[in-house]
Amino acid sequence: MSLNDKLKDLRKNGINEAKRAERLQELNDLRVNLLGKKGPITKALRGMKDVPAEERPEIGTLANNVKKDIQLAIEEKMDELNQQMITKKLEDERIDVTLPAQSRTIGTRHILKQTIEDIEEFFIGLGYQVDAGHEVEEDHYNFERLNIPKDHPARDMQDTFYLTDELLMRTQTSAQEGRDMESHDFSKGPLKVVSPGVVYRRDDDDATHSHQFHQIEGLVVDKNVSMADLKGTLEALCRHVFGPNREIRFRPSYFPFTEPSVEVDVSCFNCNGEGCRICKYTGWIEVLGAGLTHPNVLEMSGIDSTVYSGMAFGLGPERFAMLKYGITDIRDFYLNDVRFLEQFKGVN
Amino acid sequence: MKISLNWLKEYIPVTHTVEEIANKVSLTGIESNPVTLSQGLDKLVVGHITSIKPHPDSDHLNVCTVDVGEDEDIQIVCGAPNVADGQYVIVARHGAHLPEGKRIKHGKIRGIESNGMICGLDEIGVPEKYVPEAFQNGIYVFPEAEKTGSNALELLGLTDEMVDLDITPNRADTLGMHGAAWEIGATYDEKPDIKKAELDDAKVKELSDVTAEVNDPKLVPDFLLRELKDITVGESPLWMQRRLWNQNIQPVNNVIDAANYVMIEYGQPIQAYDLDKLQENKLVVRNAKSGEKFTLEDDTEKSLSHNDLVVTSGTQILGLAGVAGGISARVTPDTKNVLLESAVFDGVSVRKSAQRHDLRGDASNRYEKGVDNGSVSEALQRAVQLVDQTGSVSEISQEIVGNKTEANPTVITGSIAHINHLMGLDLSTDKIMKIIDQLGFEAKLDGDAVTVTIPTRRWDMAIEADLIEEVIRIYGYENLKGTLPSGMETSGGYSPKREFSNKLSDSLLSQGLDEVINFALLSKTEVKAFNTKKTNLTKLLHPMTEDHEYLRTSLIPGLVNNVAYNQARNNNDIAIFEQARIFDRHQGEDRPAEVEYISGAISGNIANDSWNTTKKEVDFYDVKGIVEELLSFTNAKSHFEYVTTDEITNLHPGQSAFITADGQRVGYIGKLHPSYQSEHNIDDTFVFELNIDELFELNKRKVQSQTAPKYPSVSRDLAILVDKDVESGQIVNDIFTNGGKYLIDANIFDLYQGSHVKPGHKSLGYHLVFQNPNDTLTDETVEQAFDVIKESLVQKFNVEIR
Ligand SMILES: [Zn+2]
Repeated sequence: MSLNDKLKDLRKNGINEAKRAERLQELNDLRVNLLGKKGPITKALRGMKDVPAEERPEIGTLANNVKKDIQLAIEEKMDELNQQMITKKLEDERIDVTLPAQSRTIGTRHILKQTIEDIEEFFIGLGYQVDAGHEVEEDHYNFERLNIPKDHPARDMQDTFYLTDELLMRTQTSAQEGRDMESHDFSKGPLKVVSPGVVYRRDDDDATHSHQFHQIEGLVVDKNVSMADLKGTLEALCRHVFGPNREIRFRPSYFPFTEPSVEVDVSCFNCNGEGCRICKYTGWIEVLGAGLTHPNVLEMSGIDSTVYSGMAFGLGPERFAMLKYGITDIRDFYLNDVRFLEQFKGVN
Repeated sequence: MKISLNWLKEYIPVTHTVEEIANKVSLTGIESNPVTLSQGLDKLVVGHITSIKPHPDSDHLNVCTVDVGEDEDIQIVCGAPNVADGQYVIVARHGAHLPEGKRIKHGKIRGIESNGMICGLDEIGVPEKYVPEAFQNGIYVFPEAEKTGSNALELLGLTDEMVDLDITPNRADTLGMHGAAWEIGATYDEKPDIKKAELDDAKVKELSDVTAEVNDPKLVPDFLLRELKDITVGESPLWMQRRLWNQNIQPVNNVIDAANYVMIEYGQPIQAYDLDKLQENKLVVRNAKSGEKFTLEDDTEKSLSHNDLVVTSGTQILGLAGVAGGISARVTPDTKNVLLESAVFDGVSVRKSAQRHDLRGDASNRYEKGVDNGSVSEALQRAVQLVDQTGSVSEISQEIVGNKTEANPTVITGSIAHINHLMGLDLSTDKIMKIIDQLGFEAKLDGDAVTVTIPTRRWDMAIEADLIEEVIRIYGYENLKGTLPSGMETSGGYSPKREFSNKLSDSLLSQGLDEVINFALLSKTEVKAFNTKKTNLTKLLHPMTEDHEYLRTSLIPGLVNNVAYNQARNNNDIAIFEQARIFDRHQGEDRPAEVEYISGAISGNIANDSWNTTKKEVDFYDVKGIVEELLSFTNAKSHFEYVTTDEITNLHPGQSAFITADGQRVGYIGKLHPSYQSEHNIDDTFVFELNIDELFELNKRKVQSQTAPKYPSVSRDLAILVDKDVESGQIVNDIFTNGGKYLIDANIFDLYQGSHVKPGHKSLGYHLVFQNPNDTLTDETVEQAFDVIKESLVQKFNVEIR
């Protein structure tokens, strides 16, 4: 057999063997065996001395091509085997993604705290400080400084838990107004504050009453505060809480510590004003009380009411949350059934 | 008060529907609701009983022939005891609708044809207590002949449409028809036409047989009487009665009805006395003597307080001033001579008396909120006129004055610019003056200054701010465009403590605890259960129930209640916390300090059985891990330690610890005592409680950034055998004390107590890590440090190195 034929034979056999291989190791062995220094090609080339000189370059080229072709066949087969292995591995590692997760649970902030913080953050954005005040308060701040002297009939509207003749569980977060006003340095700019917190009333607990509940009082005192400012501020608040298309309306009302005083209604977010059960078919829902700070209240805090004016508003987080989430029993907030609590995860 | 549109029409034109009026009045002045009486009622007509005979098969039924304005009379069987021939009555015809879905049909009653029903007032919607006494147990009989077949509801005022004003306490001026007419009139730009009562001059005489005296003129600014002689007491005319029962007032007789009618008209309560039943002809208004007895019209007796104002004659108490009349001088059918009283009593005094004796009513409600002291005399004159009209008196006295205070209108001065400024509007002077005029106030302009004279009927108005409210509400809030305050920019935010507290809450939320909110008022048992500060309890003066009597001293009792509530509902795995205040009252002080706490409770499993996990019940170390993570968020420089304690009664004595920061107590952690748990019917529960105020005060770490170490660390394991009572914390502290500056960590990786170690001993394994941030550590350096550690442990704790 000529050297030429021998090389061609080697090529044919090498390629066939590579194709037949089933494992990577076989291919590695094949490469060493066929293409190594002790392999048949090297051995066959030792017969070159018997080839005429003019044919030698041709044989040399052929030998190189045979090596390349075998090398290529081995590499192709290796790729193929690698690919098969990955496919098998992927198949073996297939899982049921519908099985339940390993839970990583974050707790749920109480819905009232979420509601309060949402409102606080709204006002912080408008430059208000947050000042929580005292739950045990003096009669003086809870009533007298709010233009509600001892025998004022308005005291009937809020039966009070007294600790002593002069100390009580605050009935309203407005109790913080006097303290905020007297401690504020007006040379440093306007007073803008919201006071959130717990208040107490002598009420029997039922679906709509709780002897303990929350309020947020807002107060702005400056030289140019007007009813229009009050309306604009509360409009923005109601849109923040109840949705961008809400309208508000003012109705005259009475609070001893504001004059004028108003009740604030927001257009029903459920029916968009068409009338439904939530808004008692009026299209409007009463959400808070507000007004311009009564001049007496300013004067009692040493503020000149001919120069300064104030606006104040008070709202109930329980009422806001009940409206927004359709909660029908105020006691649910204080029973703390975790199934009730956890449904509000991430709402605010 | 309900304002009848028919009545209102006497003063102003009424051109809108009751719904429109109620809506408009709500938006400009007073919350109002439309009321339509006798809705859905029909086929109720006037009938004339033309004959009556007993039912043959009954001893209480009568068979009546009734003319109902048709060609043929109809036959009705009637069981009312007061039915009689010739009466004009209310007939419900066949097919009539009555209240509560009741329907009348013809049929037979004990065999006799009955073509309808003769009705009592209570059967057609007048509540029984407002039905005149004579008709309370029977049918209603019209006082005069009426046209048969005509609409009975209309005649009885029961088709009236009314606007129900739900007043705020400052607007008691609308607790009378006149005031309401002014208010609704201002809204529609209509001035009410209110006529003054005229008396028959011929009857007005100088009588001097009665005098009046007021002991404390401050409490009784006005006390006026008029004497009326030879009156006839009888039934009031229907037009008056129907207006009264529509106001929820029972018609009684023409004198008492006139008094009540004037109260509705003017808002001024009027009292009537039978002159001949007075002990003396001198009325004295004085404070009652403590324990003095007073008998009400309904015969109940009250024991009076020295703070009660009473109207008296000699030792006889005629009435509790402004609150209730008495029985002794009541006007009855045989009364001949009458005294009418129109007075102003101090609102606070009236309110307290009414509350004290549980007698709040129409009169006291008005005195509490105020009455127009400009119309006391006029209202009295009106009452006299009405009594004269219905009871034809012979003589009328002049005003008998116990006290009289001149009624001065309030003058408010304001500035047009300031009014606009506070409204946030730019109304023209003319527009503002027009609104002031609409309200019926007189105003004078002087440049920018406006001087407004407020009639006495609006005693709620005193200052410019009141005027601003009037202008803006009549102008209409709906016309006000919202703006934001335009002053200097301010930076908003939370207080540093609130930020701190939020951070701690967030750390618990992120560790899976749900937040709860509990009541601060607890029972005595609850506030004593975890009073670890041994604070003085703070008690309410007048608690409503024993459950809410004291201010809480700890958040744990609330959390325990929550665990119990949830576990009773099969929510067994509970991890909750609360951030709120407790009340710490120091000895000798009334006012408790309010201290911010953060506390948690964990019960049940922290991991559940699932396809790839097995359940794990919470233990002390799970909760300790939560607390440690929370404490790391305090950013405190302090060294926190857990100091075993058996001091807290309701905690497990072997599984509880005070938490200290550099030796100072800031809280505690532990398992609830088994007996406390079974008392509350809860599973094993671990709790912790931390004082936020104290944590907030701790010195903060100053974080100076260091690059991450570049040199490798070296570790050594240490296995020791030690007496079982030695705490791991002691060992670790000692390791750190002696480990030298390169020791950065010492973790326990093994704890064994059991048969394979010496009795009374335990085996502990620690993994120690050494590192030099600036160089590679040599084995020699580490070995030296390790030897020092071991030596110390052997000496101090007598450990056996293994
Ligand atoms: Zn609606």
